[in-house]
Amino acid sequence: MEASAIQVQAATRRFGSLVAVDHLSFEVQRGEIFGLLGPNGAGKTTMLHLLTGLLRRDGGEVRVLGHDPQRKAKEVRQRTGYVPQETNVYLDLSAVDNLWHHAALYCRDLAGIEGRIESLLELMNLWERRKDAVRTFSGGMKRRLVLARALLHDPEIILFDEPTLGVDVQARHAIWAHIQAKRGQGKTFVVSTNDMAEADVLCDRLIIIDQGRTIALDTPEQLKANLGRDIVTLRTTPPIAEPETYFAGLGVQTVTRLDPDQLRLEVRDAESIVGELVARIGASHRLESVRIARPTLDDVFLHHTGRALRE
Amino acid sequence: MTRFLLLLYNEVKLFRTTALIHLVAILQPAVLYLLMTTILVHPTFDLNVNRPGSDLEASLLAALEQVGSPIGLPYVNPILVDWDGGPVVRQVITVEEREGVPTAVQYYGPIDSNLVKNFRNRLTAAALRLWDAELGNRAVNVEEHAWLPRDVSYNVYFGLALLPMAAFLAAALTGAALTAQEFEFRTMVEYRLAPAAPGLILGARLTRLVLSALVAAGILLVAVGLVTHAWPRELWLVALILLPLAVIAGCLGIVAGLVFRKSIPAFLVALVATFAGWILGSAFGLAASFGTGYQRISRLTPFTHAVELLFPRYFGATVGSPVVSAATLVLMAGGMIALAALAYRLRVVRQEGV
Repeated sequence: MEASAIQVQAATRRFGSLVAVDHLSFEVQRGEIFGLLGPNGAGKTTMLHLLTGLLRRDGGEVRVLGHDPQRKAKEVRQRTGYVPQETNVYLDLSAVDNLWHHAALYCRDLAGIEGRIESLLELMNLWERRKDAVRTFSGGMKRRLVLARALLHDPEIILFDEPTLGVDVQARHAIWAHIQAKRGQGKTFVVSTNDMAEADVLCDRLIIIDQGRTIALDTPEQLKANLGRDIVTLRTTPPIAEPETYFAGLGVQTVTRLDPDQLRLEVRDAESIVGELVARIGASHRLESVRIARPTLDDVFLHHTGRALRE
Repeated sequence: MTRFLLLLYNEVKLFRTTALIHLVAILQPAVLYLLMTTILVHPTFDLNVNRPGSDLEASLLAALEQVGSPIGLPYVNPILVDWDGGPVVRQVITVEEREGVPTAVQYYGPIDSNLVKNFRNRLTAAALRLWDAELGNRAVNVEEHAWLPRDVSYNVYFGLALLPMAAFLAAALTGAALTAQEFEFRTMVEYRLAPAAPGLILGARLTRLVLSALVAAGILLVAVGLVTHAWPRELWLVALILLPLAVIAGCLGIVAGLVFRKSIPAFLVALVATFAGWILGSAFGLAASFGTGYQRISRLTPFTHAVELLFPRYFGATVGSPVVSAATLVLMAGGMIALAALAYRLRVVRQEGV
């Protein structure tokens, strides 16, 4: 058995002059939920396409279950499932028909498929609606159906592009629960997302990508801890003109102006300075609001790139 | 085999995703045939003749009624009209005596040269009937030797020539729509990543398109039979003749879908190719009935070869060279399969490079 599920070493892919994936390197362990986090256009989908072999790379090495997807596409595809960003199902066919269609294309052994279809549809809470045209399904149901389809041929790795894009909160949690349940059964997931909460809740480890390059790679907790500081967001009237000078001596490490009157401060220990901070502002300005928070993945992204993930 | 049957089963189920296109593609030729035979095509020619005012006119009219086709149909149907010499909508024939010479005169409105010629021939034949007896050994005798055991009723020929078109249209249109929609629904990703052999996938789609083509041709065949009471001999041979045609059309549809990736342009290309091929391919008469230019172009289409192979099934006489036509159809089908496989490889299987 291969040591790790996926190994990527300096993978590069260009589209003309645009470098969509720029020397990305990471490794995914078996049974892990690994996240590719980055804004739209960061290169996440391109990276997934390199893993499936849909795209050829311009440089670097990629191994999926020990095989190069570019050279051994069939072996890789037999053992991986791919859920694209768009819900690509036949809307006029039923859920069962869509799964049978997938079975004919992907399943090595067709014996016992009927039972597998039934159990997957039950797992995804779609069994009651199995004969209805998919056109009548909600966004969350369609997404669950696509996940069921990707699992039908019992792949070892599932590549999931934006799992909960466009689905409601309830469906989102249901999809996360299904992914985590399947991970519990030994499946490996590579999930691409630009949703910080999703990456935070779902992923064991993640790589943050921007403009095709690695920004950071670790567990969500460690990424936040590595930041080593708290975040203080405050709004004043009038705006503080020169914040770096204004907050001198308070241990403020980074100041970012979010709005003309809103500042974001990174401090090592917010609780120890908050009293003095409020007193200093109160002497010359009116403090409209203040918020102290532990760093989020967005803060990690902001710290590394100077802009918010959702920009 | 099980996988192939499952793929085929799925292909048939995809009917639901393009139900309207299927209905149009499969039923349109039969509807076209029924409309054409009901509205446009009559077994007889109606000929307007001025009501006889003299014995001479009456005798010409009687002679006209005796002009038939080789199988004795009342081919000319003289309709008596009271014509006042005003504008003529179609054509009126009168018999006038000019300086003691009886003269049959054709008055016609908008010129339909074919009809003018046709009626002229009928008048000449009627005149010969009238006066041959008086000419003695200077009489002109016209003998008719039928090549076919029965007359080529245009309704039967038109139906026969529509059969390849029906098969072609169904396979080409549904093939184009089904393939293009895979890009529109983004379900093509499923095929791109599928570990199943591309030949098996393509084979299942092609088989399903051939079945659609045979269903369309079968419906038309029944319509032709009900209208004309003409049923082809050796039905299995008819299916066998249409088989390579359906393969050619199915491949054309698949290639159009793969190239254009959008339903409407792929559909239009398949539609135009079908109708152009059909019109050039003996749609309204055997290629041999037309000039050499038409014949040469006509033989580049699969339709002419199919029509010439189908002809004996309805009329019992061989036209052209069946061996050459059969070989041409098989070669064309093989070429189109290779083209479809190449297009599938380039558009679906191949990993996208730089």
